[in-house]
Amino acid sequence: MSLAVIVSLNVLAVVAVVAVVGYLIDRSAER
Amino acid sequence: MNTPHVHLLLNHVPTVGTVIAVALLILSFIRKTDGLRRVSLELFCVIALITLPAYLSGLGTALQFEQNPDVVKAIMDRHHDAAVFGSIFMVLTGAAAWLCLWQRRRLGRSSGAMIGTVLVLSVLTVAAMARTASLGGEIRHPEILLDPEAAAAVTAEVAPSFMSAAAIAQFVTGHTWVWPTMEALHFIGLWLLFGVVMLVNLRMLGMMKSASFAAVHRLLPWAVLGLGINLTTGMMFVLGAPGQYLENIAFFWKMGLLLLAGLDVLYLTVFDAPWAVGPGDEAPPLEKAMAASALAMWVGVMYFGRMLPFIGNAF
Repeated sequence: MSLAVIVSLNVLAVVAVVAVVGYLIDRSAER
Repeated sequence: MNTPHVHLLLNHVPTVGTVIAVALLILSFIRKTDGLRRVSLELFCVIALITLPAYLSGLGTALQFEQNPDVVKAIMDRHHDAAVFGSIFMVLTGAAAWLCLWQRRRLGRSSGAMIGTVLVLSVLTVAAMARTASLGGEIRHPEILLDPEAAAAVTAEVAPSFMSAAAIAQFVTGHTWVWPTMEALHFIGLWLLFGVVMLVNLRMLGMMKSASFAAVHRLLPWAVLGLGINLTTGMMFVLGAPGQYLENIAFFWKMGLLLLAGLDVLYLTVFDAPWAVGPGDEAPPLEKAMAASALAMWVGVMYFGRMLPFIGNAF
């Protein structure tokens, strides 16, 4: 696998985790 | 004043400061005093910010001391490993405390789960920081060693665990994909942080006047998440190539401005004046000045980050 593909997949994985955590925190403001 | 002096001045803040903040938090449960709880949460945030220069000045001191024959490098490495661990817990505690303060603004109170998280994290931080401080003292104070021979024996067999500074540095520099991944994430964290902080501060300056301050402040946890990404990736850069940063004047400016700008994020959450700005309201002159200076500081953080190789000696 090329370097660019490995880097892209890693970045996407971290962004996905951040998006989920951010969404959960954001939602807590509505309770 | 030099780097070791700065480290000596700051290194007591995460240890003694956290003990005081935990004591205030526990006291707030016993006395059922809401104000005391708020102060302890604010204190955690401030201590987490100061932990950053405390840690970095320690790393700078270690670089200077490496060639010093009076200092055993293995003892310094043990202290450093403990400091990495303690700093991670401290920053997590600060982030959780900030989230509690944000919840208080939105809901009028922090959730029990978040307060419990802060309490658990802060107790773990106290333990980790006490160990860090104790190991740090052993570097230049052999008189505090209960068993000097045993200590000497331990220092001879330091094996890096997966959480050690050496192991993290090896991870960062030993794989070609780690540095570009961290760089990409550092930029994603940057726009997440600056994008939201810019919106909040532009509202204070008079733009988007139909929205209340509370409405734009709602987004601030996304900025703190961005800050979290950048602290993590930034620390990995520093651990991977400490000399590039700790002997670089642009990095000192970047960190100094980051501290002040971080305090502004706290200010926007805990001080009442910004919250009085409702839909259609003009912010008072002092709030506008705060917003303008905060924006300037964040731009400065980015500017000195980008100028690391040009003003300083990085890369």
